Amino acid sequence: MPTLLELQRAMNGFMTVGDPAAAAFVIGDGIAPEARLAIYRNTYHGNLVSALRISYPAVKRLVGEDFFEGAARAFIDTHPPRSGYLNDYGAEVGDFLAQFAPSLPYLTDVARLEWAVNSALHAEDALPLDPTRLSALPADCDPIFVAHPSATLMECAYPADTIWRATLDENDNALSAIDLVDGPLNLVVNRGADGVSVARLSADEFNFAKAIFAGVPLLRALDVAKSDMSTSLAAHLAAGRFADIRFEPATSPERPTTSPERNITSQERNVS
Amino acid sequence: MQRTPPTAALGERGPLPAASAGIGLRFPHHRRVAETKPKIGWLEVHSENYMGGGTPLAYLEAIRAHYPISLHGVGLSLGSAEPLDLNHLRRVKQLVDRIEPALVSEHLSWSVTDGTYLADLLPVPMTEEALDVVCHHVEDVQTALGRRILVENPSSYLRYRHSTIPEWEFLAAVASRTGCGILCDVNNIYVSACNHGWDAGAYLAGLPPNAVGEVHLAGHTVKELPGGQIIRIDDHGARVTDDVWRLYAEALQRFGTVPTLIEWDTSIPDLDVLLDEAAIANSALAIARGGVCADAA
Repeated sequence: MPTLLELQRAMNGFMTVGDPAAAAFVIGDGIAPEARLAIYRNTYHGNLVSALRISYPAVKRLVGEDFFEGAARAFIDTHPPRSGYLNDYGAEVGDFLAQFAPSLPYLTDVARLEWAVNSALHAEDALPLDPTRLSALPADCDPIFVAHPSATLMECAYPADTIWRATLDENDNALSAIDLVDGPLNLVVNRGADGVSVARLSADEFNFAKAIFAGVPLLRALDVAKSDMSTSLAAHLAAGRFADIRFEPATSPERPTTSPERNITSQERNVS
Repeated sequence: MQRTPPTAALGERGPLPAASAGIGLRFPHHRRVAETKPKIGWLEVHSENYMGGGTPLAYLEAIRAHYPISLHGVGLSLGSAEPLDLNHLRRVKQLVDRIEPALVSEHLSWSVTDGTYLADLLPVPMTEEALDVVCHHVEDVQTALGRRILVENPSSYLRYRHSTIPEWEFLAAVASRTGCGILCDVNNIYVSACNHGWDAGAYLAGLPPNAVGEVHLAGHTVKELPGGQIIRIDDHGARVTDDVWRLYAEALQRFGTVPTLIEWDTSIPDLDVLLDEAAIANSALAIARGGVCADAA
């Protein structure tokens, strides 16, 4: 008689890799134990394929239903879920597709974008930072922005954003107008008041965003940038990409002494 | 070993309107329910679909202002040999704290082993070892949530050779040891009884009436396997069958007028179809309360 753990490990073997050992623990009674177990395995696969279909609608349209289902099953076999929260399932699909479908190199970028969109859709709720709080900051503080839980930055080798949009819109004209060499490019994804937004950032804006989203104080983040970031910062604020702002107390010994204004217009900072 | 539940005495039916039917709220019906507020006693959702944040949770918060809500989970894996996934339990607690539901329920099943989530409600072997495990997990959940939960009987397509306890006795023992309630899925009893040759009436008779806090009704599919054998699949993709309605009437005679849910998860129809089914359940509840057909069932 198997212990509960032994039985569950055997069932896991059947569900994930088709190992028939669990059949020995199952009563046949007119239906082969393997056929009974297969009902559960079908549901397991079906539920996970459905979860991936929901998260990757553009990838599915780009490759077609049959190819998608084959890829999804191969993904499921190598990436069984680790949590009962299926909105979190499938983060590695982009990397997986790089190996599974190397002849469609842009698929990986589209999948990574869809994952960022999916993550933004389900991210924890947080009110966007009210821009007026910036005017209320002490004059010489160095503020630290807290990125909104839905905000993600990504680098793409291909124009994943235009491919993604044209595919979901089923806009064949827009799709055929896409030039695959329109890359590499940088994207910022977040959930704002009107839903999920996907926007492009220049290389300089991207480096600046990476720094402030990671909690680097504003003055140091501006040091990273080679150009004026005030417009980019305003765009992040307007799109709701921050949830909060903090500042180091005025007595802090690490408090930078340069004025924010001077840094915002600084053009010659060394990025490294 | 009788334990005192953290809240709510055994047999308490919670703040759901007792003799009333609810429906399972699914995404395609969010907007219409929020905007038109159809006449229905209460709503139940799958907890896992409302974790995190964003639009689904915003709808649920708007809708909960007008209806009692029941949170029905599929991911806690009460029957796992290993400890509960504390991250998942935390997500459930976060949702419970935010929605303040009338009822919280989970399944007599398992899905997780060695940290892998097998994305289905797998049958628990009916053994003393598994009974201890399920009871401990129910207690862990009730302690973490600070409230009583209901545990639902599963539908199943297999039995294990080493099971020794009838499923209804197992469920009754879980309720008696932990103080949890029972979510009696009448369709699941019917499906499992057909699949395993059980007596559905004996199953109902084996459940402690005072512990039954909710009833589920749904449709199922009759499937022919390649060898010609028949098996019933609990796919929640059709109207409740006549046999299940009859078994439901019998359940109401045994348990009293328990809040009853219409569930539909595959090929989800127009909201009106669900409201029609709920109207039938409401009528059955009224008949049971009035004792009109007491001899018929």
